[in-house]
Amino acid sequence: MTTRRGFLAGLAVLALPQPGWADIGAPAYLAAARQGQGFWLHGLSAAGESLFALPLPARGHAAAAHPHRPLAVAFARRPGTYALVIDCALGRETARLHPPEGRQFNGHGTFSPDGTVLYTSEVVAEGSAGRIGIWDAADFRRIGEWHSGGLGPHDLKLMARGVVVANGGIETDPNDRRKLNIDRMRPNLSLIGWDGSLVEQAELPAGLRQDSIRHLALGRAGEVAFAMQWEGDPAEEVPLLGLWRPGDAPVLCPAPDGQGARMQGYAGSIAWSGAQIAITSPKGGVAMIFTAAGAYLETIERADICGIAAAQGAGFLASDGAGALLRLSDKGAQRLTQQALSWDNHLVALG
Amino acid sequence: MRLPFAAQLCFALIAVAGPAGADFPQTVQDHILPGYRAFADASAALADQAQQSCDPADLRPGYNAAFDAWMGVQHLRFGPVERDGRALAILYWPDPKGLGAKAQKALFGADPARLAPAAFAEQSVAARGLLALERLLYPAQPLSADPCALIRATSADLAATAAGVLADWQGGYAQSLTSAGAAGNPVFLSKTEARQILFTQVMTALEFIEEQRLGRPLGSFDAPHPERAEARASSRSRRNVVLALRAMRAMVATLTPDAPQTMAGFDRAIALAEGMEDADFTGLADPARRLKVEILQQAVGHLREQALAELAAELGVGIGFNAADGD
Repeated sequence: MTTRRGFLAGLAVLALPQPGWADIGAPAYLAAARQGQGFWLHGLSAAGESLFALPLPARGHAAAAHPHRPLAVAFARRPGTYALVIDCALGRETARLHPPEGRQFNGHGTFSPDGTVLYTSEVVAEGSAGRIGIWDAADFRRIGEWHSGGLGPHDLKLMARGVVVANGGIETDPNDRRKLNIDRMRPNLSLIGWDGSLVEQAELPAGLRQDSIRHLALGRAGEVAFAMQWEGDPAEEVPLLGLWRPGDAPVLCPAPDGQGARMQGYAGSIAWSGAQIAITSPKGGVAMIFTAAGAYLETIERADICGIAAAQGAGFLASDGAGALLRLSDKGAQRLTQQALSWDNHLVALG
Repeated sequence: MRLPFAAQLCFALIAVAGPAGADFPQTVQDHILPGYRAFADASAALADQAQQSCDPADLRPGYNAAFDAWMGVQHLRFGPVERDGRALAILYWPDPKGLGAKAQKALFGADPARLAPAAFAEQSVAARGLLALERLLYPAQPLSADPCALIRATSADLAATAAGVLADWQGGYAQSLTSAGAAGNPVFLSKTEARQILFTQVMTALEFIEEQRLGRPLGSFDAPHPERAEARASSRSRRNVVLALRAMRAMVATLTPDAPQTMAGFDRAIALAEGMEDADFTGLADPARRLKVEILQQAVGHLREQALAELAAELGVGIGFNAADGD
């Protein structure tokens, strides 16, 4: 997408020697952490070393990294009343985003590949109808919004044809996140075109309507891998991973009989790395690795594992609540670094 | 490194003496390995008995002994018992959709080849294990066909699963837990991780008692569901709660000598469970009897809070940061 603004911003980058990620050590990932009573945003090298750590005012959920400029947007936990734009080179907050009246951020956001626009997942506070907020990344002005195609959107990713959104289907109390519609929830995956129209939408089969679709990872050929969290009877073993090619029906990828229960109905994060997909369950203390076609490969035990991202080369980088960053593959886990802190839900890969 | 004899002796004395003797290596030696050995022995004995007789009256004592032994270790849900879905292949409960009975029905009078050990182990976990045997040994209605071949196959499969869990613990997993934090240990990177995983087992299993073993039959005041109780046909519902609590109490005692409130919480919950007259929660429609189950449920909830406050601090662990509050 080339806009006049994007073109001018591109020129500006050429004209002025603005700092980039390379100037602050070229982090490969961003990750939030709790250390003592404080919360921090870390930039991590590919080997899991902290390159910088900047204080956050409260626990966040996910972050979005600008593709070129050393900017991170950290989203407050739901109900999200603000998001911070942190200039990682200056080491401080340079802007604070507030959703419009009656809207709340819902945990995730992502920049356009050219870095000109930020998209955020949001809800109308009353009723949890989903919105995609659109922000000018030059000055973080709100420039528009689209319907997300469902209730309670969480993660969102950009594809060639538009924005793919995980509409979790859950209506939450605007004040305390209490879930209000578990008996009638209907999650979906929606592809919203660049004009804001609903291009494709996929629902789960009846019987799995309580499988909240929450996190997304993209494959190279335009496939969407999605991770779910089961709100139904915990005795039921349901798929927590699915694959979707917009236009087709989603394909569910169950773990083998008796093995799926290890996730305790909860996939907290998802990543796609080459020919493999990984989902993590801090509740079950396991990560599961599947092939890119959704065939189960292996379960790796690791207490409180949650953050996961593609590692450089092959395999995954994972983080846990005990402060370890691990190299993860279907052969097992190998600790790269350990710090006296708790890594939070997500690892965000840069570039 | 070779140490002088006196120094070796000194280390030996330290290792034997004092309260420092309670920690996760003791849990492995005194609780986990003996527990899995007892379960493997009891289920092997049951499988042997089934070769001698298919009369339920002959097999029920051995069946209950195997179930009792499983309750001694059922709170451990990590490592070998989770490989290939073994834990659920041993005890598939809760089963709100009745998948176990459905899957088992298809095996009645099946081609004997499907009941051979390797083929049987490929059956759905719902069709296997202790509750599959319960349906054969305590049938609600007369069985549609001679269950003898299925009893033998199911008990042999249970014994093989139990033996597999024990063999995997003895064949390396016990060593890797005991040597947590040693250089080159790829599974447990620190001693804290070993304590953490054992603590997590207690917390998760207590929650399971509270929400599943007690919560499912309790239902709501207006709609109690005693028929949902675990192992109801063999009248083991209450017994399973008592044995699970006792086993966890014993495990905590191997972890630390210094968790008095947690131990008192266990004692209170065990006494309440033992004091219930209903072996299978039949009387839940009666408000007075229901109250006793609710009081037990609250006591288990309180025990969980005590363990989180006291035992976690004592072990230097906690509920995982991400596990406690996801999104």
